[in-house]
Amino acid sequence: MTHLPVEDLEACALGELGATRLAEVEAHVAACADCARELAWLRAERTLLSRRPSPPTAHLWAGVATRLQHPRRRPRWAWRMAVASGVGAAAAAAVLVAMLRPKPLPLAPPAQSPIARSERGKRPPIDPKTLAALDRAEADYRNAAQTLEGEYARLRPSIDPELARRWDETLTRARAQLGESRAVAADDVNVRMRVLDGYAGYLRSLRDVLESEEASP
Amino acid sequence: MIFDRESPGVRRFLGDLLRDDAAADEGTQETFVRAHHRLGTLEQASRLQGWLFGIARMVFLEQIRRKRRDAPLPEPEEDRFQLQADRGASPEAVLLSAESDRMLDGALADLSDERRSALLMRIDHGLGYGEIAAAMGWSLQKVKNEIHRARLQLRSRLAGYLEGGAR
Repeated sequence: MTHLPVEDLEACALGELGATRLAEVEAHVAACADCARELAWLRAERTLLSRRPSPPTAHLWAGVATRLQHPRRRPRWAWRMAVASGVGAAAAAAVLVAMLRPKPLPLAPPAQSPIARSERGKRPPIDPKTLAALDRAEADYRNAAQTLEGEYARLRPSIDPELARRWDETLTRARAQLGESRAVAADDVNVRMRVLDGYAGYLRSLRDVLESEEASP
Repeated sequence: MIFDRESPGVRRFLGDLLRDDAAADEGTQETFVRAHHRLGTLEQASRLQGWLFGIARMVFLEQIRRKRRDAPLPEPEEDRFQLQADRGASPEAVLLSAESDRMLDGALADLSDERRSALLMRIDHGLGYGEIAAAMGWSLQKVKNEIHRARLQLRSRLAGYLEGGAR
């Protein structure tokens, strides 16, 4: 015997079927032990779940109304973080565009002097606009990091010492990785981009610390 | 008023997910504050409940992300109950057992958050599969699969409790 789709049995258990389909399902169930058992389970689950009491909610409206009238302000550091992230993303996009822009083809191959040949393998200088975008993004990230570090310093005395030690280790690790990238960045666009990634990671670590500590009672 | 009509369901849903009354109260308020700001994005009034549950689920995910920041999320539980889901105890016995309500609480807690959400939306709140798919951001097929697995797991747990209690 072909069994009914479980969705039909479920709809039957939940009282969702129209009269015609309900009659068809009931007729099948009367003759099919497997479907009858499945329907009994579905009804039992429904009964078990629905007979639990619902907690009252009327008292919650006052809090909703208050928050609608006086929305919570985002902390200052959250705005800083949002701005820095936006600038970082914009800088990354600008750099990508600059790197992908086709260069004009030379009309004739340039004659290479011995000096030029000896400099083969050196990186080409960064386009000034790309460099400016990278500098701007890095400065914004740095400012955001300073703001967040200030917030962390303010919160730190109230944090459990063991937890604070772990946060310190996390942040120190993130700072060390950032420092390593920064030390080799020079004028290499790819490394400069990695520095921005490092800043973004460091900011995320700081944000996690601040959000978790502000959320804790 | 929307709050009067829908808040009991949202609070109940969040209570089942968060298992913490204070957090569920706070989550319910946050859900309705967000819903108020986003009311313009609701495409059909008839989909209000599913839309609210989608917001409530996001609120829930944010709360547990904060709570679990130090501990990695556990891997979703494997379907180790699937093969033994229906192992003898009858639905009638489950319903009649004096312990069944307490057992249900434990059995629900054993489901993964996502699976529990989908099952409760369907069985406890009567949302359709399409509404659940929209609220969870899943395909229709995934909704069906997850609810099926949740159900097998739940039955296995309930049956297991009964058999254990009878010994």
